[in-house]
Amino acid sequence: MAAGEQQSRDYLQRHRIPELLHRLAALLLYHRPERPREFLIQALERVKAGRRAEGEYPYLMDEANLAAMFELLDVVGQGHITPAQYREALKTLGLSTEDLQFGDYGNITLDVFKEEVKKKMLESWAVY
Amino acid sequence: MDAPARPWPPPPPVGAYAEERELFRLLQNMLEELLIHKPDDPIQYMINHLKQNNDDAPRICVLGPPASGKTTAAMWLCKHLDAIRISQETLLFKEILTLTEEAKAYKERKQKIPNALWANLIQERLSNVDCIKQGWILEGFPENQEQAWMLQSSGIIPRHIVVLYAPDTVLIERNSGKRLDPFTEEVYHTTFDWPSDLLVQQRLVKPEDLSEQEMSKKLLEYHRNFPGIFQIYQKVLKLINADQPSVDVLSQVLTYVQTRHRSAAPFTPRILFCGPPGSGKSLQAALIAQKYGVVNICCGQLLKEAVADKTKLGELVKPYIDNGYPVPDNLVMKILAKRLNALDCVTNGWVLYGFPRDIEQGEQLQKSHIMPNRVFFFNLPCESIVERLSQRRIDPITGERYHTTFRPAPTPEIQARLRQNPKDEEENVEKRVEIYYRNVKELEDFYEDAFYINADQDPHVVFEIIESCIIKPLPCKKLKSL
Repeated sequence: MAAGEQQSRDYLQRHRIPELLHRLAALLLYHRPERPREFLIQALERVKAGRRAEGEYPYLMDEANLAAMFELLDVVGQGHITPAQYREALKTLGLSTEDLQFGDYGNITLDVFKEEVKKKMLESWAVY
Repeated sequence: MDAPARPWPPPPPVGAYAEERELFRLLQNMLEELLIHKPDDPIQYMINHLKQNNDDAPRICVLGPPASGKTTAAMWLCKHLDAIRISQETLLFKEILTLTEEAKAYKERKQKIPNALWANLIQERLSNVDCIKQGWILEGFPENQEQAWMLQSSGIIPRHIVVLYAPDTVLIERNSGKRLDPFTEEVYHTTFDWPSDLLVQQRLVKPEDLSEQEMSKKLLEYHRNFPGIFQIYQKVLKLINADQPSVDVLSQVLTYVQTRHRSAAPFTPRILFCGPPGSGKSLQAALIAQKYGVVNICCGQLLKEAVADKTKLGELVKPYIDNGYPVPDNLVMKILAKRLNALDCVTNGWVLYGFPRDIEQGEQLQKSHIMPNRVFFFNLPCESIVERLSQRRIDPITGERYHTTFRPAPTPEIQARLRQNPKDEEENVEKRVEIYYRNVKELEDFYEDAFYINADQDPHVVFEIIESCIIKPLPCKKLKSL
């Protein structure tokens, strides 16, 4: 690999550009705005504001979405899901599954699920 | 989910949206810029980049030996594309850049200006806001491989390179008649390009160093340097013969700089063929479908299939077909929309022909959200159509088509059983062609981005032209109206 290519790869990884572009593309496709360019500028401005802790990050999922997701996972409606299911859900959302403090056993209720996912999302944006 | 908040009718599918808004290109350009400049704060950089909105700004180099017409071509492009022209003269005498003095000093001492200085001058000029916003046209730069490397490493990457060429003898002859307008910097020629304006005629001056020796020295140097440049830019470079009338040269240059290079964006072909009967629509559609795996849909065939399958709509269509009347548009539209929205068409793309035949049908197609992204009109003279169709024969057993002169049946057995479709008799053909041409004019206006194909050529030549139009992104039509 040429030195320049290695440098570029390092740069992308350091600033997590591929993940960022994935998120932006997902936001674009979900909202399908009339003017994508302006929409992206706004989204990036929000990331910047969020970095200074002055505003909200542009989330793809709101609370209602998370509740719906939980219901899908909790098929029989027992009010909690297993850590394995939780891990899969995080993967589906494109969030990191490292340093999970849940063991292989235990139950995750809706409130815990919401809180944890939100925390994870915040972490994933905070790196920018 | 927030289902009730969704607008109705449902928004076009994600893929079509992404394609229409060119999201791929938007994100790709952003990534490109990030990789070139590697800013420390990517978010802010991306915001600034998006605000510039200059993805379509021209970035062109016009190269060529002396007297090949670089200045004329570049100036003309500037007027059309509203971009900034940068040449040796403008850099040295028009601009006030920090490095200009240094460069001028070299010039006064009759020394060659070093490559690095040129590259820095260009870089400084191109980072000005007008070049970033409007785009730029570099004339006569880069001169050699070293300059090209330097420009590249400072992130200046032209999208289109136009190289004018002509035989040396022509260039030497042209050079001797070269005249300059000191006022507008335009270049004229005593015999080939003499200005009609008397005022301009009077103020023309003879440029210095017109001697043949000087010229051949410059030519030699150009020929020595060109292979290096060619090697670097061969993917975006186009050679254009400058030994033609200037209008032809300029139109070729403009067509080239408006093309876009192939992109890796996901693309579902939705192709529409319009053409008179016998223009080769079905053959071309079959070839395209075979090579690219898109769904081949002939409107007439589709209707007959619906009848044969005895579907509800088919039953409605049947009486019209049996009695030889045209099927009403709304019925055709329903059958067609159902087929084009089927999964295989949506995922693989389609090629449609035989519909729309007039502007109302085209509008209906648009109303039902069926948007072709490549439209082709086949053109050929009426005599060729008659020649092709009146001798068309069909094998009733295999359904294969033959032609008595161009494609005779392989065995006498088949030859004996060939039949002619009554539609293909000469007087009927002429009637059909006339109906086609009556309606096509409006349809051509309706599809602005359509391609026009001369169908009176070998089928494989036609196929190649169509293929290249499908593969490349649509040329950008943004032109300053003069």
